[in-house]
Amino acid sequence: MAYFIAKRLVQSVFVMLAVAFLAFSLFRFVGDPITQMTGVETSVADQERLREELGLNDSFALQFARFTGDMLKGDFGFSYRTRQPVAEMIATRIPATLELGVVALLISLFVGIPAGVYTALRPRGFATQAILMATLVGVSIPTFVIGIMLIFFFGVQLGWLPTFGRGGTVKLGGWETSFLTVDGWRALILPAFTLGVYQLTLTMRLVRAEMMEVMRSDYIRFATARGVPMRRLYFRHALANTMVPVITIIGLQFGGVIAFSIVTESVFQWPGMGLLFLESIRFVDIPVMGVYLVVIAFFFVVVNLIVDLLYVAIDPRLRIRDVS
Amino acid sequence: MRSTIGKSLLLGGALSLTALSAQAEAFKWASTTDPQTMDPHAVNSAPVLSFLNNIYEGLVRRGRDMSIEPSLATSWEPLGGENGWRFNLRQGVTFQDGSAFTAEDVMFSYERASNEAADVRSWFAPVTQVRVVDEFTIDFVTSAPNPLFPSSIANFMILDKDWATSNDAALPARDAENFATLNVNGTGPFTVATRDPGVKTVLAPHAGWWDEAAHNVTEATFTPIGNAATGLAALLSGEIDFIQPIPLQDVAQVESRDGFKVLEGEETRVIMFGFGHEHDKLLYSSDVTDVNPFTDPRVRLAAAHAIDMASIDRVLFRGKIEAASQLVPAGISGYSEANSDRPEFDPAKAKALLAEAGYPDGFSFGLKCTNDRYINDEALCRAAASMFAAVGLKAELSTGPVRDYWPQLREDDFDMYLLGWSPGTFDMEHPIRFLMHSQDDERKLGSWNFGNYSNARVDELLPMIQQEIDPEARQALVDEVVSITQDEVAYIPLYTQPLIWAAKDNIDLTQRADNFFMLRWVTVN
Repeated sequence: MAYFIAKRLVQSVFVMLAVAFLAFSLFRFVGDPITQMTGVETSVADQERLREELGLNDSFALQFARFTGDMLKGDFGFSYRTRQPVAEMIATRIPATLELGVVALLISLFVGIPAGVYTALRPRGFATQAILMATLVGVSIPTFVIGIMLIFFFGVQLGWLPTFGRGGTVKLGGWETSFLTVDGWRALILPAFTLGVYQLTLTMRLVRAEMMEVMRSDYIRFATARGVPMRRLYFRHALANTMVPVITIIGLQFGGVIAFSIVTESVFQWPGMGLLFLESIRFVDIPVMGVYLVVIAFFFVVVNLIVDLLYVAIDPRLRIRDVS
Repeated sequence: MRSTIGKSLLLGGALSLTALSAQAEAFKWASTTDPQTMDPHAVNSAPVLSFLNNIYEGLVRRGRDMSIEPSLATSWEPLGGENGWRFNLRQGVTFQDGSAFTAEDVMFSYERASNEAADVRSWFAPVTQVRVVDEFTIDFVTSAPNPLFPSSIANFMILDKDWATSNDAALPARDAENFATLNVNGTGPFTVATRDPGVKTVLAPHAGWWDEAAHNVTEATFTPIGNAATGLAALLSGEIDFIQPIPLQDVAQVESRDGFKVLEGEETRVIMFGFGHEHDKLLYSSDVTDVNPFTDPRVRLAAAHAIDMASIDRVLFRGKIEAASQLVPAGISGYSEANSDRPEFDPAKAKALLAEAGYPDGFSFGLKCTNDRYINDEALCRAAASMFAAVGLKAELSTGPVRDYWPQLREDDFDMYLLGWSPGTFDMEHPIRFLMHSQDDERKLGSWNFGNYSNARVDELLPMIQQEIDPEARQALVDEVVSITQDEVAYIPLYTQPLIWAAKDNIDLTQRADNFFMLRWVTVN
């Protein structure tokens, strides 16, 4: 097991290198950082000098080598836009994104799985049809439209929830959390729901399809015939067997949720990594964009690793194979 | 304007009465961009200078109507016997950390701001020497007579020498951060209480401010909100008191709600089309590829006559723009009253001019525009392209974000382009220097004259304008430049960009034409 994890982590270094390379080759097309860093009155000569100082005139290979070399040494460089250390900028933004992503995931699981089970067991019920319709509408509308609609309804019309930002946060060591204040939770509801709605629909539909499949299988009929209580039948025997594909998809999706919460973060002015990335694109802040993409690649690798480990935990057959 | 001043005076009186009850007037506002740094010399950009003008101060400052008034200098006069200015400094001013302000701080700030590491150093290009005369007198010697110098340094903010040197911030940070990137110590009305870059910055009043406070703000919180719809929602839900700017299409929604108001004005930014005067052929034409028809002034004039400003105003800007005849709006010093007519909308005349120039059927060319820099920039270019097409000028429109727009223009990759220009010194000399003088990297002139419009007489007139002390003689020189550039259609000035802010009804504030938001004029009622 330790060997398996170590192997995956070594692989992740290569994934990150590949991502860094791809990102770096794209940066040249994003725009010119110098014109974003300097004012209109700055002379062309001063701009050139700055370009030279930042090494932007060097060849692509040299710039890439310098970037990866510094990263390996643990030096993440400084932002072109704010001049702050990039490592610090990203580190202070990680809690916001992770908390948002985790709450979105929890919403999607705690609503999606029961809804999936319910709609599978009562396929022709009125509530089922209503749920299916509602979630179909939910996935069809782009995230930012859902976000704006929620903001205007709950924030502006009803005035129940804040329209932007994280609300009250508490610092626990280096981790700034929304979980410990009422304001923090209130600010979290709308963005987490917005971010989770797609995931929720996916989870529900997947659970429903798998459940319907499983309910038709022989062992469920036998169990029914034996008189296993319905509750135990549904949740212990049927649902557990639907979980492997569900976890695969949710796991992969969760990487995406963390990585691409950009839209939600922008709509809610949520100060996470996605918002930072967006601002960095606007200012052609190459060091921040580079590090962000590498960090996101690392997240993907870790999430996939966790998914693989969860398989083993959930499906005893994989454990047996592992031992043999 | 008068009513605002009256109200703030009244309020000032009311405040001193209620001071005992210590009414907290917290104020929250939002804008699209977070100031990149708290260092007043590191970045010469509007979000930074606007924000820091609440914290730091210059020798002179701009009033509500943009006029220059005393700030850290109480008076200034031309030097006798040599070129330059003497500034008499205000006594008894203290920085926010309590240390006293003297001429040494001005000297230090000059050295810091004119250093290679500073982005604002171009302001000091005319300065040859700075001398501390005594504790409260300082001389700026310039290479030539420079009547504009005092107003050109209104954004030159003064740092405390001891504070900066003892915190290793003697120079602005270029590629790494330093103490002054996140911390402040100015003489201005507000100081930074907490700062979380990109998230939130809280300002508190500076108790020892030398001037009498016209505001009643006890705590001001700034949040950058990049998404326009989110910003509007934040205002309408009452979470913020004020936002700058709001999109034109949201004006009606704000006005329709009780308790909110829209503040409209004219920015000093003029939007224009520019040409590749120096290009010998068109880059993006499908029919005329061997010559550049835009080198013919008749063709440029034809393009100007093709633009229907009234329709653009009505359809795209809901009647909120002012058509422009020259590169600064009326009211800016140096504005040429004598040349205030712009080419009228006249498609027949445009076609006749094109025929006269040898293009009776017109030709196609490339038009480059930004899509995220100016209000409705992309829509404007689409409208202009169809107006051009109506007279036979078939514009191939390409739009893109501003972050890779300037490099394209610098590489001469255009036939015609869109540009907006706000005169940093609020004088006509500014656009003449940057947009009309021939490109001259050595002397740092014409650096935004992408098409390299070049006229020997204009080049000759610029230094004369810069040095002329007599206002009337100076205006005559400016008039000549404007007249030449209008005759030759160096640019097609289109309109002055509107300035649209929104606030709660109970907020009184001043909308200054440079789009700077000054907390010292805010009263929360």
